[in-house]
Amino acid sequence: MKKLLEISLGVVTSVGGFLEVGSMATAAQAGAMFGFQLIWAVVLGTVCIIFLVEMSGRFAAVSHHTISDGIRERFGFNVFLWPLLAALLVNFLVLSAEIGGVAIALELATGIGFQWWALPVALLAWLLLWKGTFGVIEKGVSFLGLVTLCFVVGAVMLRPDWTAVARGAVPSLPVHDAANYWFMAVSILGASISPYLFMFYSSGAIEDRWDKSYLGANRAIAGLGMTFGGTISIGVLIVAALVLATHGVTQVDDYHQLPLMLIPIFGFWGFVLFVASLAIACFGAALEVGLQQAYLVAQGFGWNWGEDRKPRDDPGFSATYTISLLLAAIPIALGLDPLRLTIFSMALTAASLPLTVVPFLFLLNDKRYVGEHRNGILSNAAVIFIIALGFVLAVVTIPLQIFGGT
Amino acid sequence: MKLLRDLLDKQVVDREQVKVGKVDGLVAQLRPGKPPRIIAIELGSITLARRLGARPGRWMARLAVKLGGTQHGEPHRIAWRKVKDIGIDIEFDIDVRETSIFAWQDWLRDHIIGRIPGA
Repeated sequence: MKKLLEISLGVVTSVGGFLEVGSMATAAQAGAMFGFQLIWAVVLGTVCIIFLVEMSGRFAAVSHHTISDGIRERFGFNVFLWPLLAALLVNFLVLSAEIGGVAIALELATGIGFQWWALPVALLAWLLLWKGTFGVIEKGVSFLGLVTLCFVVGAVMLRPDWTAVARGAVPSLPVHDAANYWFMAVSILGASISPYLFMFYSSGAIEDRWDKSYLGANRAIAGLGMTFGGTISIGVLIVAALVLATHGVTQVDDYHQLPLMLIPIFGFWGFVLFVASLAIACFGAALEVGLQQAYLVAQGFGWNWGEDRKPRDDPGFSATYTISLLLAAIPIALGLDPLRLTIFSMALTAASLPLTVVPFLFLLNDKRYVGEHRNGILSNAAVIFIIALGFVLAVVTIPLQIFGGT
Repeated sequence: MKLLRDLLDKQVVDREQVKVGKVDGLVAQLRPGKPPRIIAIELGSITLARRLGARPGRWMARLAVKLGGTQHGEPHRIAWRKVKDIGIDIEFDIDVRETSIFAWQDWLRDHIIGRIPGA
């Protein structure tokens, strides 16, 4: 019974982690422009992240080390430096985009320009990290994140043609705007397979003191949680396809177009639900990415870390998330368009994947870390597939950014 | 035991299980006619910078002296005879508070982090 509660908590938490500004924006853009045609990218991304999250949790539960620890220890400092720098840069952009997402939600709610909200949002996030515990952040924010289920409810209420939805889950070639289509596909994959998510998950497992008895729970949480997250993304995509496109919005290039999505379904409450979903999902993600920056640095250099400890006990750790949040608020405070930043950072995330995923192939097959709980054939095949996908994405991202980027 | 595989870059903990850092470098003693012997491990930014090249190493050492004074111009060392347990983590029979390894974290606590309310 206790395990069941633990699993449902974990599922809710991972839904909160999955849905953020990137998955919402890319799904909405894809739906408006290409109807249901890009659902396959959400499905593919979700399957990939399920495998990576399960491995990340298993690695932490068995070895009591996080993925960042593992990369540094197994490959040495000179190799670790590359994923470290890539992840710090990508996380910085993503963190900035999340702060931008909350700021846009606040602009929609109050009419005060988004750039004025960047620093207050960063300050509030910092305050929660400073005073809160890991449990408060993990559970509190993700329970609030359940409001994003309104997209699934909305999608069902719109009575889509479910056979068309199912057809969208199978990859197909674009009939118009080919470069844009593939750029959207890359961005969706980047938004779903986010390194911060699977790296953060292993730190979370250590914070929650997982051991081998959690292996079953880990599998259930990874599978169900990410599937729920992916379902909500598909909900966003379906709503965008049916509402935005019929209202003549085929190109989402402005956040102000987005609240329109839920209004035909829920009326005024649709506006409120949209603003709340955007604010909560992005705020939760901002907390996680900010914390992940500190985990990454502290684990890579072997410092003490832990969100449940007092900031003064781990000065290096707490200084890292403080600086990360402050720096990430600056581009938004200067007026950088959050939507463009989001799409750009999702594509860059996709391009950085090989650096963070290749280590999984070694770490999860290393007996000294995971013993008998090594990867089976299926998991190894999945990692190799994601690495190959990551290399393709890394090669095509920059040309597509130039020709297909919005 | 393979030194590079089983020692370098592993987590170092002290006898209270406090995370001290990673094994950033190894110090070996060359002995005529006998195989070299590990006498200490090194930790800290200077050692890490040296692993990237001689020049980054010199820059980091100069920076460390500028920020922390001449006593920080050399990397931190822990004598190998203090080693207690070698597993996935390497445990040393030391108390990190008696070393200067955390000097920068202490400075950060006393001058910045500790002054922010709620720390």
